[in-house]
Amino acid sequence: MTRTAVDSTALSADRRRGPMEAIFYPKSVAVCGVVATPGTVPYDIFHNILNSGFTGTLYPVAPFKRSICSVRAYRYVVDIDDEVDLAVIVYPANVVDRALKQCGEKGVKAAIVVSAGFREVGPRGAERERRIRDICGEYGIAMIGPNCLGVINTDPAARLNASFARKMPDIGRIAFLSQSGALCTAVLDYARDRDIGFSKFVSFGNKSGVSEVDLLYYLHEDDKTDVILLYLEEITDGRALAEASRQVTRGANAKPILAMKSGRTPQGARAAASHTGSLAGQDAVADAVFRESGILRVHSIEELFNAAVMYGYQPMPKGDRMAIVTNAGGPGVMATDAAIGLGLRMAEFQEATTARLKACLPAAANIKNPVDVIGDARSDRYGGALASVLDDPNVDQVLVILTPQSMTDIEAIAREIIQVQKSATKPIAASFMGASDVAPGVNMLQQAHIPHFILPEWACRAMAEVQRIRRWRQLPDGPPETLPVDRAAAAAILDAAPAGYLPEDLGLAVLDAYGLPLPPYKLARTAQEAVAFAEEIGYPVVLRLVSPEIVHKTEVRGVALDLPDAGAVRTAFEEMIEHLGRVRSGARISGVLVRQMIPAGHEVILGGQRDAAFGPVLMFGLGGVYVELFQDVTFALAPISRGRAARMIRSVKAGKLLSGLRGDPPADVDGVEESLVRLGQLIADFDRIVELDVNPLIARPVEAGGNLVADVGIRLSAPAD
Amino acid sequence: MATVQERVKTVTGRVLGVDPSEIELEHSFTFDLGAESVQSVELVAAYEVEFGIEMDEDAALAVESVGGAVEFITKACKIQGVAVEE
Repeated sequence: MTRTAVDSTALSADRRRGPMEAIFYPKSVAVCGVVATPGTVPYDIFHNILNSGFTGTLYPVAPFKRSICSVRAYRYVVDIDDEVDLAVIVYPANVVDRALKQCGEKGVKAAIVVSAGFREVGPRGAERERRIRDICGEYGIAMIGPNCLGVINTDPAARLNASFARKMPDIGRIAFLSQSGALCTAVLDYARDRDIGFSKFVSFGNKSGVSEVDLLYYLHEDDKTDVILLYLEEITDGRALAEASRQVTRGANAKPILAMKSGRTPQGARAAASHTGSLAGQDAVADAVFRESGILRVHSIEELFNAAVMYGYQPMPKGDRMAIVTNAGGPGVMATDAAIGLGLRMAEFQEATTARLKACLPAAANIKNPVDVIGDARSDRYGGALASVLDDPNVDQVLVILTPQSMTDIEAIAREIIQVQKSATKPIAASFMGASDVAPGVNMLQQAHIPHFILPEWACRAMAEVQRIRRWRQLPDGPPETLPVDRAAAAAILDAAPAGYLPEDLGLAVLDAYGLPLPPYKLARTAQEAVAFAEEIGYPVVLRLVSPEIVHKTEVRGVALDLPDAGAVRTAFEEMIEHLGRVRSGARISGVLVRQMIPAGHEVILGGQRDAAFGPVLMFGLGGVYVELFQDVTFALAPISRGRAARMIRSVKAGKLLSGLRGDPPADVDGVEESLVRLGQLIADFDRIVELDVNPLIARPVEAGGNLVADVGIRLSAPAD
Repeated sequence: MATVQERVKTVTGRVLGVDPSEIELEHSFTFDLGAESVQSVELVAAYEVEFGIEMDEDAALAVESVGGAVEFITKACKIQGVAVEE
């Protein structure tokens, strides 16, 4: 005899917001391709849904099987005589297209394609994936996957474990989105150990349909989710991710996004590419864009969960003033150094607080911040000190440090901290230093959702990141600036140019059209023309060979600097042409660029590139020959606002150089900001610009004549047909 | 003597627990007949016994439909000199 899962009308109408709702709150689910063998993915997924207490109706689709787990089975999804909201597809990859087509005909709203064997296995799989994406597009099916672990929704209104993760996690307010299925099961196990619950849990695999961007928008509106954790192996649409993150992490309903992205090193990126079947985005760009989109990037599972607990279970601090309570002076001082180094401030206690501390601590204790309760401290001292500093209006957050000493009652102290935390309105983090001795106390703290860090410096770093998110929420978010430029003049040059590097004179003309500061320059065809122009602009001058066939001028002696008079210009011109004739016979020469020798200043680089994942990206940093050596650069999505330009400059060491060091007059920083905005506009305006380097721009004080572009390189892609 | 097609349907029906009269040439083993992965391996072995041939397992498992199996087996029989009714 077969049994049918209980039908439910528990889901309210307002939860049904289109296909995404069908993924998380389906009224009915069909598992397509179920088999009768326990221990296989198809069977286990069906079994997990059945046993998770799913509030809707469940249908197994299993050809020529009468029933699965005593539930009547259907040969095809179209045979089910009821509406189906969600299909979980577990067929082998080669027939998933047929399954989805039937789902489309049946009117299924959403599908989770668990099956592997798509683009991660090569071109044939990629073709299969394209086909199923097209089918979903044709029928309007929201698809999670393929190649994923599935979806879990712990909300009692759904109780859905449509995954092959063995156990349903506890209910919590953290959502976890992961591109890796295998990581999901590890995270679930880890979370269970720390008593961390989840609201939604999604493994989105190849993200061929629903992407992390769609999920972020959905979770922003999900009243069961407070914090979003994201694990990414590849970024396919970086701009959409940045925009979604900006919306999710700011405003009245702001939710923190914590992201871990693998492929940080070039080797890691290659491994990630072979794993997911696509190239990873450039990590430095991702890093900068995450920062500017309110995403907090973490680098390990441990860090991810500590941060999640910090945001998910602790209140947001009102300010950046920190108090430390410790039973050891050294770690207290180290934590203080770390906190200040990371931009936090040490709280100055009010008199009432010092009086309370004096009353509850021995005379030898340090009642100033960091508060040292002394090595023999027991739980009463910790409790008294912690409560005192938490009550101080000058304190925004507290770090409790413990080192295990013979008389330290670790569990009692942990219990005391948990007790005090219950009535606290300020965040508390802890660092019980050590390993096995402190383990019982650490477990107690973690189960009470007090973030614990092995080292106090790590706690300070996490607390500093919270400040970054707090400031991010307050940051004005102006639209990109649009400055007046001569777009038509630039278009006339760029549209006529072939693929490859634009000759320097044309590159300068494009920059001129976009209002970048250039020294006077001219392309001379003869030595006489060069001398005449040099006389006009004044000495010293620079000569630079311009040839469409020469990219690296210095290799053919195509650059002559600091020429003081007409004779030197004539000689340099003739030698340049004569040498080129010898080393590159027949090379075409457009002429020789004559420009003023730019006086010394700070060399900075303003660059741009078209990134596969992020589109037009702007770069700023220390320029000249030091670019590669110091890699002191930052990135932003172009175009940018003036405020973003200012933040780019401030975020690198080159920015400090420009503001004037050791009595140097400051360079024209406003001018650099404006040049960044203009360059961002340029690369955003012209799709054919693949790379753009203004390197260096010589940054100088306004009174010395201001900034000037010394060199430019613009590489174009082939013109569109 | 039964044709290759009839014999393939009989063996398939026996292994998968399906009435051979319900099996069509265009049926996919997994999507239409509900073959589990372990049954696919069993099918290959059963075809080998039925026809007295040896089949390359990877190539045989890549066959997706009943019609594909008929074609594959007919070819294998020819190569291995086994007489069958087409």
